[in-house]
Amino acid sequence: MSNTVALCVRWLRDLALLAVVTTTLLFFLLRLAGDPAVVLAGPDASEEQLQSVRAEFGFDRSLLVQYGSYFRNLLTLDLGNSLADGTPALDKALIAFPASLLLAGLAMAITCLCAIPLGVWLGARPGGTRRAAVRWLLFALQGFPGFVVALVLVQVFAIELTWLPALGYGGPKTWILPALSVASFLMPKLARMVEANVSAALGSAYVRTARAIGASEFEILWRHALPNALLGATALVGAQLAFVVTGLVIIETMFAWPGIGWLLVQSTTNLDFPVVQAITLITVAAVFLINALTEILQHTLDPRLRRQPQSDGAASA
Amino acid sequence: MSAILDVVAIPADRPSIRWPVWTGGAVLACALLLALITPLLASEHAQFINLERRFVPPFEIGHWLGTDQLGRDLAMRLLLGLRWSFAAALCATLIAFSIGTLLGLLAARGQSWLAKAIRQVTALAQSFPVFVLAVSVVALVGNGFVAISAVLGLVSWPVFCRVVHAETASLLTREYVLAARMLQMSRVRLYCMHVLPGLVSSLSVLVPFHFADMLIAESALAFLGVGAPLGDATWGSMLQESRSYLWSAPSLMLLPAAAIVTLVIAANLLGDGLRRRLA
Repeated sequence: MSNTVALCVRWLRDLALLAVVTTTLLFFLLRLAGDPAVVLAGPDASEEQLQSVRAEFGFDRSLLVQYGSYFRNLLTLDLGNSLADGTPALDKALIAFPASLLLAGLAMAITCLCAIPLGVWLGARPGGTRRAAVRWLLFALQGFPGFVVALVLVQVFAIELTWLPALGYGGPKTWILPALSVASFLMPKLARMVEANVSAALGSAYVRTARAIGASEFEILWRHALPNALLGATALVGAQLAFVVTGLVIIETMFAWPGIGWLLVQSTTNLDFPVVQAITLITVAAVFLINALTEILQHTLDPRLRRQPQSDGAASA
Repeated sequence: MSAILDVVAIPADRPSIRWPVWTGGAVLACALLLALITPLLASEHAQFINLERRFVPPFEIGHWLGTDQLGRDLAMRLLLGLRWSFAAALCATLIAFSIGTLLGLLAARGQSWLAKAIRQVTALAQSFPVFVLAVSVVALVGNGFVAISAVLGLVSWPVFCRVVHAETASLLTREYVLAARMLQMSRVRLYCMHVLPGLVSSLSVLVPFHFADMLIAESALAFLGVGAPLGDATWGSMLQESRSYLWSAPSLMLLPAAAIVTLVIAANLLGDGLRRRLA
């Protein structure tokens, strides 16, 4: 029990640390990049406009004072207003969040549905021409950046065959291509990992025991080898979440999907800095929380982890 | 990004094969050569706009890969893109390599607060959506070669740090290192003679994989319109422009896409082959 409390304390500390580091980094980068007033007001703003921007955002005060007030606002979750339409930046980012969650959820579902059976099939036996061919296919697929996959999918299914819309967000028909594209980021990795884990598990002592007791090959594969292989897969999904977020940014922009990735690219091109900052913070927090949940899940699923003492940081990674 | 490295154990009974290393290495070497001699091949007409010769299909005389929507020669633009992407990915990899290795060596040095801090940061950075950071930072500091390669290198070093830290920590407990310590070997000599050589194999596997990741990240940023200066030929921006002509001129999309995929697969082959042989 005290273990759980210690874990929660560690997470809270890490989350706070992450938030502080991220926001500080962004704060000073905006100032490093030049006069933020020029960035915010645009390159061809007049001197009066610059003055008013400086006064409005407090750029005329000293850097430390600015940082202090910025930080105070942050503690009350006030990230400023969007420069594009004046709505609070945090609200704007939060409104876009569910669409991203939907896309990520769909993509993860597709990834798991494809990768796990494929990985088990590949790992069940080492040899065979068909398996070797699929292995090379997965290897090649890993070389396809997600946006290239998306372009090819659009080319084939939206333009040549006209089965599915090329972009937009409305109804399941528009979900298919973006979800497949995001899924292509992680699917080959996950399949290869399940394969490796299954084949490692099949050589282990407990599988030999199960076989000696008289379990069928089917039982051995799906009841004994797979659960163990999935434990590693859970860890991979957690570790690669940042990768999925990358996928979201690119694919949402391509398909005009109104999630945070799309909003991020929109806001960076418009130099809408408060929104960029809100999105970065939300993404960091979300990825962190999902990672923490993965860790809890692993601890629930894997009794071996509960017996080991918590090691700090990179040693456990 | 390099989770394959840690998690996919190749069964030992699979025979080690040589051709992936040679193929991957040869493709990368050719690409490097092409990137180096691009200035000789590409005269100023690479960016030359000729509206009378737009959308020339591939295999025409004078433009053997055809021309794009502004009548620019596609082969030349692909070469310029190769030069840009190769150099950016290489610089980013080198930056990440240098910072990551240095910090990894420091992190392995026991219980000092510096080592602890580095370990903490690396563990956190592992789950950090670095691409989001790269997009916002490049948008802030502006486009250009230096900006893009520096940002990609500066956000991706934890990959190297993690591996170097783990390897060094295990090397430092080996008997021969302990023996060298007992013989009062100086720390510099200890690291140069016993630690760094032990890191070579895992680093030489990690570098090609990281190069591939950086290549993808760079072209993805350019594809989003972040990083590459407007109008310059990069594979990402060529793909972005091709989206308007997917129906009329699919080769505008297929050629840069094939170029990216070829280089990434070559780097992956090299990394994967090296891992099988060195592991």
